[in-house]
Amino acid sequence: MRLNKIILSFVSALVILFSTSVASFAKVVGDKIILGAAISLTGKYSSNGVHTQNGYNMAVDRINSMGGVKVGGKTYKFDIIYYDDESNPKRAAQLAERLISQDGVEFMLGPYSSGLTKAIAPVTEKYGVPMVEANGASRSLFTKGYKYLFAVLAPANLYLDVAIDLAVEKNNGKGVTVAMAFEQDAFSQDVRLGVLDAIKRTGSKKVIDDKLPKELNDMAATLVKVKQMKPDVLVVSGHTKGALTAIRQISEMKVDVPMLAMTHCDAAKLSKQHGKNSQYALCASQWHKTLTYKDDFFKDGMTYDADFTKEFGYAPPYQAAESSAALLVFKDAFERANSFDQKKVRDALAATNMQTFYGNIKFAPGGQNVDKPMVLFQVMCDDSGKCENKVVAPTKWASAKLIHPIPSWSKR
Amino acid sequence: MKNNSILYIGILIFGIAAPFVFPAFKVQLSILCVLIVLATTWNIQGGEMGYNSFGNILFYGLGMYLCASVQVGMFFPLAEWTESGGEKTFVHTPAQFFQGMAVGLLVAALVPTIVAGLIGYSILGLRGHYFAICTLGLGVAAGEISGGIEIIGAGQGFTTPPFPDVGSLDARGEFFYFLSFFTLVLTFIAVRSIYSTRFKLILNAIRDNEDKAEAMGIETMKYKIIGWMISAFFCGLAGGIMGGLVGYIDSTDVAFDGREMGVFMVLMAILGGKGTLWGPIIGATVFHIFKEGFWTFFLGWQYVALGVLIVVIVIYFPEGIMGWLREKYPERFGEVVDEKDRKAQVELK
Repeated sequence: MRLNKIILSFVSALVILFSTSVASFAKVVGDKIILGAAISLTGKYSSNGVHTQNGYNMAVDRINSMGGVKVGGKTYKFDIIYYDDESNPKRAAQLAERLISQDGVEFMLGPYSSGLTKAIAPVTEKYGVPMVEANGASRSLFTKGYKYLFAVLAPANLYLDVAIDLAVEKNNGKGVTVAMAFEQDAFSQDVRLGVLDAIKRTGSKKVIDDKLPKELNDMAATLVKVKQMKPDVLVVSGHTKGALTAIRQISEMKVDVPMLAMTHCDAAKLSKQHGKNSQYALCASQWHKTLTYKDDFFKDGMTYDADFTKEFGYAPPYQAAESSAALLVFKDAFERANSFDQKKVRDALAATNMQTFYGNIKFAPGGQNVDKPMVLFQVMCDDSGKCENKVVAPTKWASAKLIHPIPSWSKR
Repeated sequence: MKNNSILYIGILIFGIAAPFVFPAFKVQLSILCVLIVLATTWNIQGGEMGYNSFGNILFYGLGMYLCASVQVGMFFPLAEWTESGGEKTFVHTPAQFFQGMAVGLLVAALVPTIVAGLIGYSILGLRGHYFAICTLGLGVAAGEISGGIEIIGAGQGFTTPPFPDVGSLDARGEFFYFLSFFTLVLTFIAVRSIYSTRFKLILNAIRDNEDKAEAMGIETMKYKIIGWMISAFFCGLAGGIMGGLVGYIDSTDVAFDGREMGVFMVLMAILGGKGTLWGPIIGATVFHIFKEGFWTFFLGWQYVALGVLIVVIVIYFPEGIMGWLREKYPERFGEVVDEKDRKAQVELK
């Protein structure tokens, strides 16, 4: 059969294609330290993926222009190989494998979101590739005994439990009723666990516990229940889309609730997109520009905010800030290790104890950052309709007083 | 016939040598094997039987969850493994891992087969677009439902058992490659032998005219269900392997990934040529290479590039690569063109 000839030539063409495409990079080429990162440039996390990428790029440029990394008396510059993981864990795991085994990357930066980090961590762990990640907050990442995973952020379960504490405090220490709506994904479900812990601890009561679909576009059913049950606190978490959907529908349906606690308000640019409708929303944040941490590269939060806005045309959400911090951590570790040996760099990372503009960074044995508390800010608007995020808790950083309860829609 | 065996031996040698010749591409090659299995088995319905199913992803996802659950559940409490996103850590010994995987794959193949039988019994009565839309719903529904089942991790996802430490870093890649390659060979042999029987003719008869086939005394329903069950068997197997390979199962993004895998398996079969034995294999390979290339060279625009590829396929190769080759070189496919007869026909006009 002649057909075989076609197939045979096809197979041999394949062989040639494969053998020519073995491109090899090394971890350090010339004066460059090459880091690998799978980032969500498309798909449901694309907006946060871009924040992450911008944060990485900003720090790479800054560190390189300010003298680079000094190892063994020589100066090196950072460079990052990016791939698009399409917000898909399957793809992310594949890309991690590809970065390590094909591109020869020996140091990795994290992807965006807990789910993707969960998919990548086993791969980096297997190859002993140190990964500093800035956007995977799921608590379960830090209980697996991973030795090469370091997260500059506080775990997800700490995001909103402060809000419950705050509500209880406002209720004279008595338990409150809590309505919860969380997206079906690793991060949001972890935030939920934290809230559940807080509910138990404070003797509060959950009255609604809804799981919302991914790519959250509609939560009207939950809000109808909220209108009926009149809980003291409504907690919503579902990445950027969740925050936008919640504010859109709460304002449309005029849902009155004394406290609305959310995540991802700044990544969603809530105060800009929804203006006064987003007023009084309480948001968990890893970072805020008014915090007074300092470092040599970005100086402080206000300067970072201004520089980032100048470069990318929008104010940096915390996702960008923590991503920038990841590179500062890497630089610090390389210099302390004074080597590119993966084990030595890993040990140096584990011993990190530094302050950056983003916050203090010190890793627990599990890899999470234990030296940086979460902050809560509230969206506050003036009469002209200009809205700003102001830190209201913890009191050490507060720049404004919490407005509680939220005035009803009829009085706004 | 002799020529054929040379071809098969050549491919077999290539398959066995591949992970050693291209050690850096093991994962991609494993995924390629899985893609070929999915495309080849989709072709049983879509190509030979004329039933465009978007529901095969159901069996793939089911296989994935089942294999991982069995692998964990055989040795540790499954509920604790997945609790709070998998906070607790249990470690499989190598023996436990491989035993679990073996039993898991068996379950991952058998249960979807039974499910295919049950679902097939109820929905294979639908024809044409109605069947396609119904199956589209199957995958979506399964994704949403599994995203709410706590014992398999719900929205937090399910971390499959990590590959045990057996001394070598390459062991994991090689294990999963050979597992998927073996599955591919098994699938090929099974499908090829099925296609050489009356069964294929029946499937084709259903595709060409189901009512006539029925009038000829063929119990079409029975064969349709059996065809789907065969697909489900291999899809489940492929899913089980893929779960272990990825290491993390998410309900809608990894397991019941209808948007990606579910559509890709259709695309690959169409690209290569529906209703042929080699079409899906060639289609999957070309598709995988293009896709990997687009990902590297068109960062952020890969889906645009993929979209262009699909448009080109639909416009210029509506019958796929095999169909196009067949039209171009009919004699290579053993088709004889009678020049005299052809000319006579042309001249008559």
